[in-house]
Amino acid sequence: MMRSNNRLALYASGLLLGVSFASSPVQAQDKPLRDVIDTEIRAKWKEEKIILTGRADDAAFLRRVTIDLVGTVPTLEETTKFLADSDSKKREKLVETLLADPRFAEAQANVWDLVLFGRNPGNIGQTRTRPAFKTWFEKQFADGVAYDKWVKEVLVAEQRGSEMFLVQFRNAPEEAAVHVSRIFLGTQLQCARCHDHPYDVWTQKDFYGVAGFFVRLVVQDSGGMPKTFTISEKMSGEVLFSGTAKDQAPGKKGEPVKAKFLGGAELTEPALPKDFKEQPLPKDGGKLPMPAFSRKAKFAEWLAAADNPYLAKAAANRVWAQFMGRGIVHPIDDFNAENSPSHPILMKALADGFASHKFDLKWLIREIANSDAYQLAGTGAVTAALPKRFERARVRPLSAEEIVAAMRTATASEPESKNSGSEYFLRYFGEPTNGLGDFQGSLAEHLFANNGEQIRNFTRRKKGNLTDQLLSATEPWEVRVERLFLAVLSRRPKPSEVTKFVAFIKDDPKPEARLEDAIWVLVNSSEFRFNH
Amino acid sequence: MLPFSHLSRRTFLKGAAVTGSGLILPNWGGLAHAKSATEAAVKAKKRCILLWMNGGASQIDTFDMKSGRPTGGPFRPIKSKVAGLDVCEYLPKIADVADKLAVIRSMKTQSPDHPDGIYHMHTCYKMSERTPHPELGAVIAKFNGNPDADLPSFIRMGSTGKGGAGYLGPAYEPFGASQDGRLGSFATPYLADADEKKRADLFRFVEGEFAVDHKAEPFDSHRTAKERAWRLLRAKALFDTSKEWLKAKDRYGDTVFGRGCFMARKLVESGVPFVEVGQENYDSHADNFVVHKANMQVLDPAWSSLLADLEASGQLQDTLVIWMGEVGRTPGINNRAGRDHYIRAWTIVLAGGGIKGGQVYGSTDADGKDVKENPVTEGDLFSTIYATLGINHRAKHYYGVRPIWLTPEGSQPVKELL
Repeated sequence: MMRSNNRLALYASGLLLGVSFASSPVQAQDKPLRDVIDTEIRAKWKEEKIILTGRADDAAFLRRVTIDLVGTVPTLEETTKFLADSDSKKREKLVETLLADPRFAEAQANVWDLVLFGRNPGNIGQTRTRPAFKTWFEKQFADGVAYDKWVKEVLVAEQRGSEMFLVQFRNAPEEAAVHVSRIFLGTQLQCARCHDHPYDVWTQKDFYGVAGFFVRLVVQDSGGMPKTFTISEKMSGEVLFSGTAKDQAPGKKGEPVKAKFLGGAELTEPALPKDFKEQPLPKDGGKLPMPAFSRKAKFAEWLAAADNPYLAKAAANRVWAQFMGRGIVHPIDDFNAENSPSHPILMKALADGFASHKFDLKWLIREIANSDAYQLAGTGAVTAALPKRFERARVRPLSAEEIVAAMRTATASEPESKNSGSEYFLRYFGEPTNGLGDFQGSLAEHLFANNGEQIRNFTRRKKGNLTDQLLSATEPWEVRVERLFLAVLSRRPKPSEVTKFVAFIKDDPKPEARLEDAIWVLVNSSEFRFNH
Repeated sequence: MLPFSHLSRRTFLKGAAVTGSGLILPNWGGLAHAKSATEAAVKAKKRCILLWMNGGASQIDTFDMKSGRPTGGPFRPIKSKVAGLDVCEYLPKIADVADKLAVIRSMKTQSPDHPDGIYHMHTCYKMSERTPHPELGAVIAKFNGNPDADLPSFIRMGSTGKGGAGYLGPAYEPFGASQDGRLGSFATPYLADADEKKRADLFRFVEGEFAVDHKAEPFDSHRTAKERAWRLLRAKALFDTSKEWLKAKDRYGDTVFGRGCFMARKLVESGVPFVEVGQENYDSHADNFVVHKANMQVLDPAWSSLLADLEASGQLQDTLVIWMGEVGRTPGINNRAGRDHYIRAWTIVLAGGGIKGGQVYGSTDADGKDVKENPVTEGDLFSTIYATLGINHRAKHYYGVRPIWLTPEGSQPVKELL
């Protein structure tokens, strides 16, 4: 209680009066992370004389945190209940409720699935849909498995479903090196594939050293429904390195490169017997016996070790950006000497805290979601989608998965429509950004939204859905329009909006078609398309 | 930069051409939006039509004839308008417009199969790189498109490319039409026009209210894209060629590809900067000569009429027409009378858009097995294309943190073609 009051006081003086607080000399570890976040963010605002917009109102916060934590908008009931709640700690309570919500696991698994695979994974014929992986992955989040533990499982690939990450890199050890370092270590190695990295420390030897851990992997199809694979490992085989891309010539064979941990030592491994011969692959798609010395296991152990200097940093920065827009190090997967963190003390506190809390994602998410920084308003004059100093809430498009879920929740549509048309949603809402992550609306998305039956399905009257509820209700349209706004946009309408919508609906003697169109307008609005 | 008088003249010509060809446009894109016609002319950059020979056309049976040699095949060469440029007997109409063509007989490329070749010849990068490079069409859409236009800036008829907009992002994704140029998926509103309009007005009202205190760029990008989709729907009558086609089909040939070429002409004349038209079935591993004879009889009237019409309307100097596929075909004829894929020495043809016509660039040896002089790589070809369209072929973008160029390092435009 005390702490909370203090925080409110800080808030009032910090935000409203434009006074801020410099970094405290107190050890960052002694304070809750949420307080370190606010101290550090405010210090930068003060330093740069940034003018702020204030705190998000309850409705804006509810919508934002619900989408971020459970992957959809709040239901009408959730919204009315939260807005009516007068408990001063209701935001903290809400975060706890959402962290414990069964939808949390699915939503976070979706977020990380996209990190691990993107929309166009390698070996796409086999990895495009990955139901076995999704089932396995969701279970990790549902069971609260620590981040370092599931990362290790993804790299060891011995559980049913978990192998899919490596299937992307079938016969492509170099690709594995690029993506594994980028995703889990926040390090860009791809430049070093063809030449020594132009501004970072990495050389081609470092690159091929990492690739060496993946060169012996054999991906085999092991059938089943849904389809599964096995990842076997041979006992021999090296990556061959033949110099820079410029020096390549047909027929030039490279020198074998020893496997080497990124920024670490060469792998020491027992020599193979002189007369060693690799076993042939079993014909029936069966798996090779586990080698006496497994590079795959060694690498997974090294990468997921608590003292790996890259692991916690990279993950904490990624999770920060998931909720705050930009990374403290930005772009999020480019840690290097020339790309310094915008808030170094905060970066360290995030990473250290994540590691000392045993890589518990829920802990990290709880701290961020409870910070004042996360709860800033989405309004104001700043136009950047991801403000540099976190002076306004970030604006991010809902993912394709979130759009479908949000439309379903908002329109109270039946769960059996869960997967109807989701292929279309993936196609038209799946990748709304350019190569730098900036949002770009596409023509195809809007033609689909304008004319597609898949979206009309959500607005057309069906027993029990929002359209039906509102048409069956007997209150004046003014009241019903308020419910419409609460259901779709999770907020009350402004008076001007009530007037306009009532007139729009009443303009036709038969309001059904009009109401359908009114709902269409709200689910197509930019207010709905983004989390802000 | 271009002198002012030139711009004015071009503006005038453009306006005249539109009236002359009798097009009725519901909303004439940039011209209607621009404050003055001159401003529109500044925006009016060069355009490009890609005729894509899917599967890979045979160079020896079209533009690099090897009569009397073991690799020559049964077709006879005929004289064209240009000395030194004999073409296949099944391309007589193309022979008549050969003064427009620049025939590159010395393509030497790297991707020998369909998926990798299609990617490579649409992006000028290897597919195995896995960086999402944009296709030619997306690049031209970005640099030469008018963001305020009603029509999409990258239209593809058929389904021949596969790179899409890559790192340039969804604003430049190809907009799909059917092979003969009719509108594709989700182009038909389920609402009546009047209801559509009322709904759109309500949307604009909602956006206006929201924009009062929500100023972030993505919101604006969202509503801009929505408005573009509506403008396209209003302009969609343009895609209906049923009436004009009756008059044109004898010249273009009454075929799907012919109609696609006709539509492509109409689209570029309406300001679309890039259109791809695919012709299927060139992959003649068997019966190469039957296949090619049939294909050329479709190709010849369509392509030649396209060039003639562009010229007649004054558009050819601003419209590059590319004829290519993903690979060439082997000089050797296999035991099924077929020719297989070949990338060591093959042919691509450019016309219009500032390309110097009436010439052959590069040459192959007597049997067409190797390039004899002036080899041209994918990167050189794309550099030439970009150069003639006024696009810097070394323009730099970023994909994530990685700098990336439109064409690979070392690529150079072929000066002789420009």
